[in-house]
Amino acid sequence: MPAYKFYYFPIRGLGEAPRQIFALAGVEFENIGISDEKWETFQKTETPFGQMPLLEVDGKQIPQSFAICRYIASQHGLAGKTPFEAAWVDALADQYKDFNNDFKKFFYVQLGFEDGDKEEYKKEHGIPARDKFFPLIVKQIKDNGSGLLVGSSATWVDILIAEAVSRIAENVPGFFESYPEIIAHQQKVHSIPQIKKWIEAR
Amino acid sequence: MPSYKLIYFDVRGLAEVSRFLFYLSSTPFQDYEVSDAEWLTLQGKTPYGKLPILEVDGKTLAQSFAIARYLAREFGFAGNSPFECALVDALGDQFKDYWGELFPYFATCAGIKEFGNSNILRREVGEPARDKFFTMLERVAKENGSNGHLVGDSLTWIDLTVADHITTLNNFSDGFVDDRFPAVLAVREKVMNDPRLTEYLAKRPKRYF
Repeated sequence: MPAYKFYYFPIRGLGEAPRQIFALAGVEFENIGISDEKWETFQKTETPFGQMPLLEVDGKQIPQSFAICRYIASQHGLAGKTPFEAAWVDALADQYKDFNNDFKKFFYVQLGFEDGDKEEYKKEHGIPARDKFFPLIVKQIKDNGSGLLVGSSATWVDILIAEAVSRIAENVPGFFESYPEIIAHQQKVHSIPQIKKWIEAR
Repeated sequence: MPSYKLIYFDVRGLAEVSRFLFYLSSTPFQDYEVSDAEWLTLQGKTPYGKLPILEVDGKTLAQSFAIARYLAREFGFAGNSPFECALVDALGDQFKDYWGELFPYFATCAGIKEFGNSNILRREVGEPARDKFFTMLERVAKENGSNGHLVGDSLTWIDLTVADHITTLNNFSDGFVDDRFPAVLAVREKVMNDPRLTEYLAKRPKRYF
């Protein structure tokens, strides 16, 4: 088993999904939190693209959260059971990224990272982004038939989306009121024993 | 052999990498071009309301890089180890981040959506995005051994993506990807001179982007 070191800020953010994938895969890893003070030096000396998260595998580095997720997941049966399923997992993750690029215009304001009128941004960016993306996810869950997004067992995109949904729901009360299937999916993923255990311990 | 149908507009855009993969592997496929008129009825039938989509024995795949990665894996252009595949993927993700920054300049030049004066956008959006991304790519290409590939020692879908993108950038503004980036330009040279692509490159329609 290679030695895995996972570097990110000591927050959930883009780091939580990769960590949960490790947990579900039952793979040990060193979970390294880089504080804001340490980040400036770390960024210049250690990171290929000047960003985190960063995964080190026996000393060799992989940047970019989705590349990291896919790498760990595909080594441990969490990336779809066939190449076609794996491609669907990838497509859903890319679609989520498109959603998040729009949604974060509102979310950063809601979280107080950026200035703005929360209600206005919610109406302009938050709700349209939600209503463009989540009906697609509801349809995917319904068509797939297992309560998960692709195939019959959890994949890394289930973890990715469940984490996003829980973070949004925690910070924007009632945001998924008209999306019960989305809440059901999030609860299903987070009740998987290894993920439940990770969440309780974090 | 499955039957493949690649469905896209009359542009190179996000699908050219997949077209290259079919030709590199000598895999027959239907290269289906959608007109603006047909798109009106087709759009609602696609998974995410966007193109390209790929049909594999009638089953649909969406999202340009998911399609490219799928084909690359099938045909042997995804990387020579799981680790190399991850590095290729990471560069693909980095390309997408760069693409988001470049978009106002790209969309204006391509005539898709106007964000302002294209000269001003080139200076204020295109050039900074280019400098940031291609400086990183140049370092990656050099650290990989300046062997004409971004990852490993053989052709991958990220080489193809970058090569075709340079064609577009230089169409918008001659010499845009300049000689500050010799190792990256060498990656493009290797793609454009690949004998498996010669026939396609000679016969494909001339497309601005």
